[in-house]
Amino acid sequence: MSEAKKEELTESNPFVDVATHLFLEDIADKQGAAGLNNYLMSLATSLARSMPAEEYETWEEFLDALRNRQSILSAFETITTPTDNCVVNPVCPFARGWMEYTKRIGSFSKIHSEVAEYYNSTVKAGAINSMCIIHQTFRRAAAERIHVAGKPLRVAQTAAIWSDGEKKTVPAEWQPIILERAGISETDLNMILRNNACVWVIYTE
Amino acid sequence: MLDVALVSLIQDMSDKAGVEGTIEYWTRVGENMAKRIGKEAYVGWPSFNVALREGRTGFSIEGDVTALTDLAITDVDGDVVGYLYALKQCCFVPTIMRTRLSVGALPSADRAVAEEYNNSVHDIAVCNFCVIHEKFTQEASKYITVGGQVLDCLMLATRGFTGDTKISEDNLKKIGMNPEYVRSLLRNYDCVYAILMKGARLAEED
Repeated sequence: MSEAKKEELTESNPFVDVATHLFLEDIADKQGAAGLNNYLMSLATSLARSMPAEEYETWEEFLDALRNRQSILSAFETITTPTDNCVVNPVCPFARGWMEYTKRIGSFSKIHSEVAEYYNSTVKAGAINSMCIIHQTFRRAAAERIHVAGKPLRVAQTAAIWSDGEKKTVPAEWQPIILERAGISETDLNMILRNNACVWVIYTE
Repeated sequence: MLDVALVSLIQDMSDKAGVEGTIEYWTRVGENMAKRIGKEAYVGWPSFNVALREGRTGFSIEGDVTALTDLAITDVDGDVVGYLYALKQCCFVPTIMRTRLSVGALPSADRAVAEEYNNSVHDIAVCNFCVIHEKFTQEASKYITVGGQVLDCLMLATRGFTGDTKISEDNLKKIGMNPEYVRSLLRNYDCVYAILMKGARLAEED
């Protein structure tokens, strides 16, 4: 199937995007931020587990698959790799859903950021809203299904900027280690964040 | 990605809450979405149809809706009280395609939910998402008035991703339309429904 045809067939659909956000809000109404957080994490983990596992002999082979969108980690999103360990999403794959929501429904419900606060304080700091919880949990679960040279892949969130401009970087005490693994400086990170949506690190132990 | 994640959860949700539970969830999602989109008012059918064509109505969230203005619905006095509308592409096809390309086949719960809905609510679903869609169209029409009259929506026919079709003979009878008209529409459209004035005195077809 040609890329253009694939693009045409899989183009985002506002009905599903908006319905899914409202479905999540409905869950939050009944189960609160904690319940929604569990649901989002389960949603993302379930998706990653439903995809085939991957094995690569070398890091270069893995990077090729990642860059060509043949890996689970890049199946749903466009990525660039400023270094061999740093991955960047120029556009958040959830941005279009948010835009459809704000266009057709109104301002984004507060629960989406409240659940991120819950996630940041109880699971891992780095989420701006509910979409980041899905995305970051998916990446961790997907990485568990990828082995490079026999070693399990690891991912670490570095920073994200949402469509409305809100920015979230990991806690300052984690940053030096993460940036070292990414092979970028803090200045590099800030430069990347000017025109991109999400920055994360990939590595093996 | 969000929608593909949701598809992967349909099985889990149906295993835990049963297919009836999934139908309840989806019904509420359709209802909430229509409520959140809000009210609209049009002076007459031409202005509603133009708004629809230009993507300004709540129904436009479904994608490209075509107003089949050659298929008007008339009441017992011969006045136009509604039209048939159709979607060239089901609003869930992109999600189904994304799922097939990245994950694989839809979970078996998709079919199970559709079958339960067909048996217990309305025999029109070709996939589990039809549950959300039918409820949405029914509810969204309640928030729209044409010439001061509240609207109603009747789902008439659907064609699924794998080619299976459903035609609602009960709803067709209500608007006095021959099922064969709608069957031929399914050659070119995935979903056909009627939007008409609520409570209109319709002449049922014999």
